[in-house]
Amino acid sequence: MSASLTALFLRRITLRHWRTSPKQSALLVLILSLGVAVFVSIRLANHAAVASFENFTGTLTGQSDWIIRAPAGTLPENILPELREALGSRPVHIFPIVEATASPPPEPGAENRFGRPTYTLMGLDLVGITNLARPQDKPFYGHAADSVQTEGSDDFWNAVKATPWLWISRDFAPILPTTLKLVIDETVRTLPVSGAIPTAADAPRAPANLFILDLAQLQAITGKNGRLDRVEFLVESGPRIAERRAELQPILEKLGRSGERWIVTTPGARRDAAETMTRAFRLNLTILSLIALLVGLYLIFQALDGAVVRRRPEIAILRSLGVEESTIRRGWLCESAILGLLGGALGLLLGWAGAQVSVRAVGQTVNALYYTTTVNSANLTPVEIGIGLALGLITALIAGWWPAREAARTPPAQVLQRGAAPAAGHRIMRSLAAGAGFVLAGLACAQLPPLHFEAGSRFPFAGYAAAFLWIFGAGILCAFLLPPIARLGIGAGGRSAAVRVALGHLRKPSGRHRLAAAALLCAIGMTAGMAILVASFDQTMQGWVRRTLQADLYISSSGAQSASSQNRISAAAAHDMASHAAVAHAALLVAYPIEIDHIPTILSGVDLDDPAIRPDLPWIAAPALDDPIFDSSRGSLRALVSETFTARFNLGRGDTVRLPTPDGVKSVVIAGVFADYGNERGSILIARRQVSTWFADDTITNVSLYVKPGVDPDTLRAELAQRYPGLSLFTNARLRNEVLRIFHQTFSITYALEVIGVLVAVTGLGLTLVSVLLDRRDELTTLRALGFQRREIALAASVEGLAVSICAAVGGLVLSLALGWLLIHVINKQSFGWTLSYALPWRQLAALALAVSATGWIVSYGVGLWGADLPADREE
Amino acid sequence: MKIRFVFITGIFAGAAFFSRAQVPLFTTEGFAVPQPGHAFLFPQDHGAHPEFKLEWWYLTGHLFSKDGRRFGYQATFFRSAAPDKSTQVYLAHMAVIDAKTGKFYYQERLNREGWDADVELGGLNVHNGPWSLRMTDTKNSRMELHGGVRADALFALDLFPAKPLVIFGENGVSRKGAEPTAASYYLTFPRLRTTGTITFGSETIPVTGESWMDHEISSSQLGADQVGWDWAGIQFNDGREIMLYRLRLRDGMADPASSLTWVDAAGTPKKSTFTWEVLARWTSPSTGAVYPSRVRITTMDPATKQETAFTLEPLAQSQELAGRIGGIPYWEGACRVLSADGHEIGSAYLELTGYAKDLKL
Repeated sequence: MSASLTALFLRRITLRHWRTSPKQSALLVLILSLGVAVFVSIRLANHAAVASFENFTGTLTGQSDWIIRAPAGTLPENILPELREALGSRPVHIFPIVEATASPPPEPGAENRFGRPTYTLMGLDLVGITNLARPQDKPFYGHAADSVQTEGSDDFWNAVKATPWLWISRDFAPILPTTLKLVIDETVRTLPVSGAIPTAADAPRAPANLFILDLAQLQAITGKNGRLDRVEFLVESGPRIAERRAELQPILEKLGRSGERWIVTTPGARRDAAETMTRAFRLNLTILSLIALLVGLYLIFQALDGAVVRRRPEIAILRSLGVEESTIRRGWLCESAILGLLGGALGLLLGWAGAQVSVRAVGQTVNALYYTTTVNSANLTPVEIGIGLALGLITALIAGWWPAREAARTPPAQVLQRGAAPAAGHRIMRSLAAGAGFVLAGLACAQLPPLHFEAGSRFPFAGYAAAFLWIFGAGILCAFLLPPIARLGIGAGGRSAAVRVALGHLRKPSGRHRLAAAALLCAIGMTAGMAILVASFDQTMQGWVRRTLQADLYISSSGAQSASSQNRISAAAAHDMASHAAVAHAALLVAYPIEIDHIPTILSGVDLDDPAIRPDLPWIAAPALDDPIFDSSRGSLRALVSETFTARFNLGRGDTVRLPTPDGVKSVVIAGVFADYGNERGSILIARRQVSTWFADDTITNVSLYVKPGVDPDTLRAELAQRYPGLSLFTNARLRNEVLRIFHQTFSITYALEVIGVLVAVTGLGLTLVSVLLDRRDELTTLRALGFQRREIALAASVEGLAVSICAAVGGLVLSLALGWLLIHVINKQSFGWTLSYALPWRQLAALALAVSATGWIVSYGVGLWGADLPADREE
Repeated sequence: MKIRFVFITGIFAGAAFFSRAQVPLFTTEGFAVPQPGHAFLFPQDHGAHPEFKLEWWYLTGHLFSKDGRRFGYQATFFRSAAPDKSTQVYLAHMAVIDAKTGKFYYQERLNREGWDADVELGGLNVHNGPWSLRMTDTKNSRMELHGGVRADALFALDLFPAKPLVIFGENGVSRKGAEPTAASYYLTFPRLRTTGTITFGSETIPVTGESWMDHEISSSQLGADQVGWDWAGIQFNDGREIMLYRLRLRDGMADPASSLTWVDAAGTPKKSTFTWEVLARWTSPSTGAVYPSRVRITTMDPATKQETAFTLEPLAQSQELAGRIGGIPYWEGACRVLSADGHEIGSAYLELTGYAKDLKL
């Protein structure tokens, strides 16, 4: 019985209203879909960015069972016979692998910009891989010196040629080029292309940024002769495979001396590490993407509440006819659910479209900060579709729950009374104490520590909870500003009847006014809060860049374009540049990615002895001036660590770090802590000579040159660039600009999310006024009867909208100060471990407040013009 | 349809021709050519001879469990030098046939010279991936073989010569064609007592049996007109063996260099004439090649001075190695040897190459 009544309710009331005011219903669906879309697009982009971190060998060899790699540096090739001997006659494939990175040479005129693609060069034994006996491995045999071919041949001698040949992905170039120019280390090389990387018909294609060479060839090109980056093990298929996999691990662990010689891991663990590494970053983005949804939630609530008010007479009639409360509530919830599903579905489509754009932005950031990604498209999976629809549905149900309850509970007699006062809103929304309570609870949350994930990353859950509590609290408190603003406005508006009529409504704000103000405040608060964070970051970065970038020329391999680049400068080239007649001093830096207790970080070797070239570090905890770290002849094992390092490893000055090196584990004492905004993995600085000895590697990562007085750095730059075309040479000013450009690039997606939030909120304000005016259609009739012109009615609406906007802007700015503090001192500090100085971008904040108020005013004026034309007895 | 190939070798005429021909020291590519009268030195000559282009260590055998289950196995290690002599690659083939189920397992491996494949110079020690063959006792020529097919069938075998090493050919050189360079050093243990285990999945079966091992060293195995060969290593129950190879010409005829050699119980080789009659054929579903599947061989028995005929009957038809890695598809299978009256008088391994496509070495 009640089910059929619900259906009748939907057909007779809901559908009729949707038919008579389709634009309003469409707007509701659109708002909801926008919220869902932002969330979905960020989720898809995140997903794609992580999914693209592949253990590239997986493309070729399938899933390896075990991987061994050095805790620091590379593995010597002579461990291979030892490994085969230890495995005896066990049927196991062993794949030694060398990896390197390369970039395309810069376009003419773009030599001074970072951000070119980073390609992964993978060297593996192209003869040995055929032992997997899969049809797709055969083409590795086939290439001819003068033509590109992809068909296999039996001539395996082709695969063992001494000349390097590249295999590239069809996704990189559908029509294969005959040669490819790449910057590898300091050299620009033109390599012939053998063919397309063969993959099985049912396997995913090789990623676009993966190039394959024969192991020995890549070793020769990169100077890694006799060295390996990792060794992968694949147990032959067959019976008892799980058992045989399991027995392999202890053998490898024992030979690797439990991590001292090498770390035994799995491809899954590598992917997990990549996922963990970016988890905080991705969670931050997800939280930001929820802002639009949160604002949308406010608006749906508001719109449904408005609909309840407008349909009260019908509800009252239904109640008088004996329809039960539960049936009416169910009817409203069904309506919410339908709106939610429609919004969710549309949101999925919009989100998918948005993801195609945002995925590049997310990919760029991940590339700059973490590892090489190949992401350039994001796909909707059934899980994502489910999440999108569920999000729309849940948001609509949450938003519709209170109006449904109100609709069901309203006594018929009260609602049948024409011209009933608009609802004042939920009790909580009118409670000063509740608002203050949320703020205080947020304050308490802000004091809590972050959640700790594996691999040293942290997530400031309590910090975000504090932000949400403050947003809710401020949303409630903000409405208390409406009456004083109205009083002020009436005072300032003088005798204008329109102003008096408009502001009169705000002296006792309705629930709808409160919600509109709260939604707008939420968007402004978050946007302005982020602006404060970015400005603080900017100011801190500028100071840091000014202080740490003192040399005149900065030189690195042109192939080093992202956080994962491994391109180096040969010792000969570095020393040649350092001894140039125009150079007064040269500082050389070497950097190696290492893992301490399975947490990745960076070990750098710097020249600390000579004060002239010693980096001027911004100290958090400075070492004494006569600390042995500044005198390598004293031979003490001391280190300087970044602030992020101390947070990741929970170590401080005076503590000892056990540092894995190819020369064994070294115990190093922390002599000082410095601020470093260059990476979030943390870094540990040690005397360069020491590091080079441990790693038995004389290549250099970066060279900084200080020119002699009177020498033009640009002239020297031009000379060296001609001599070393594979190197990137930045003058001081250019490098500073580049660092800041990359910094701003990483925030680009944040700006986009904020703009969407504000747009949703302003749309919501317009929607609120539509509802308000529909509610007041009798009043509008009266005003017209009293001689109000169309323009005056529009003016009244715009004043009302402006007052709500100003109230939200004021509240939002206050909220942003608190959120800015929270983002800088709690969320950022807990996520990345960076100390930032607080900066207020006043102009930006004022422009935001003005823009929102002006937009609110204009939208309200438009709505007012529409309202002025409303017929008096229109059924709404 | 039966097609009968009968050929009578002109052994004596051929031998006279070859002995007159000048044998060059090197091929045109610069690899060594087997020289008549070469003095072998063991155990060194069991090891690698990198001055030659091609070399293989070839084991086949018949194994039996206590409960009478029968298995055949093949374990082959090839060494092949690059045409420019810059490096070597090592190919290896492993195969196992379970006579009871007829299931045939095989696997190939190809590795360049280095950490995962190598052959010692001073003695027998070859390995390719997890597979290996080592002479553990040079005095008694005892060997140890570890092989397998993926994880489906693994074997670990001890091999002990029941007979002395046989050096086939004239004056230490086994001729393979008219060209003076088409020849090999052909060293064979025709009967190796074999003990060990075969593991199928979680079932490890102790086995005993007899194996055959060839070590062949050459720089040119086939002449220009030859497209492949048929080879058999036959172990009779009376303690004698036959090694035969029939080099096939493009026109389907046998090359005059084809040969059959009896090895008596004491290990002395003796050449004989033979005929080769294909009684049945089998078409490979994998390569489409049509192989002889049952062959009757007629030859003169040096012990009885009588003509004798016997049939090689495969334990299973499907014993083809498809050559997906090395590019050489061929059939290599365990066979029963049946007398004219149908009695099993021995075991054999039959090798049929060049049927799927011309064999190029």
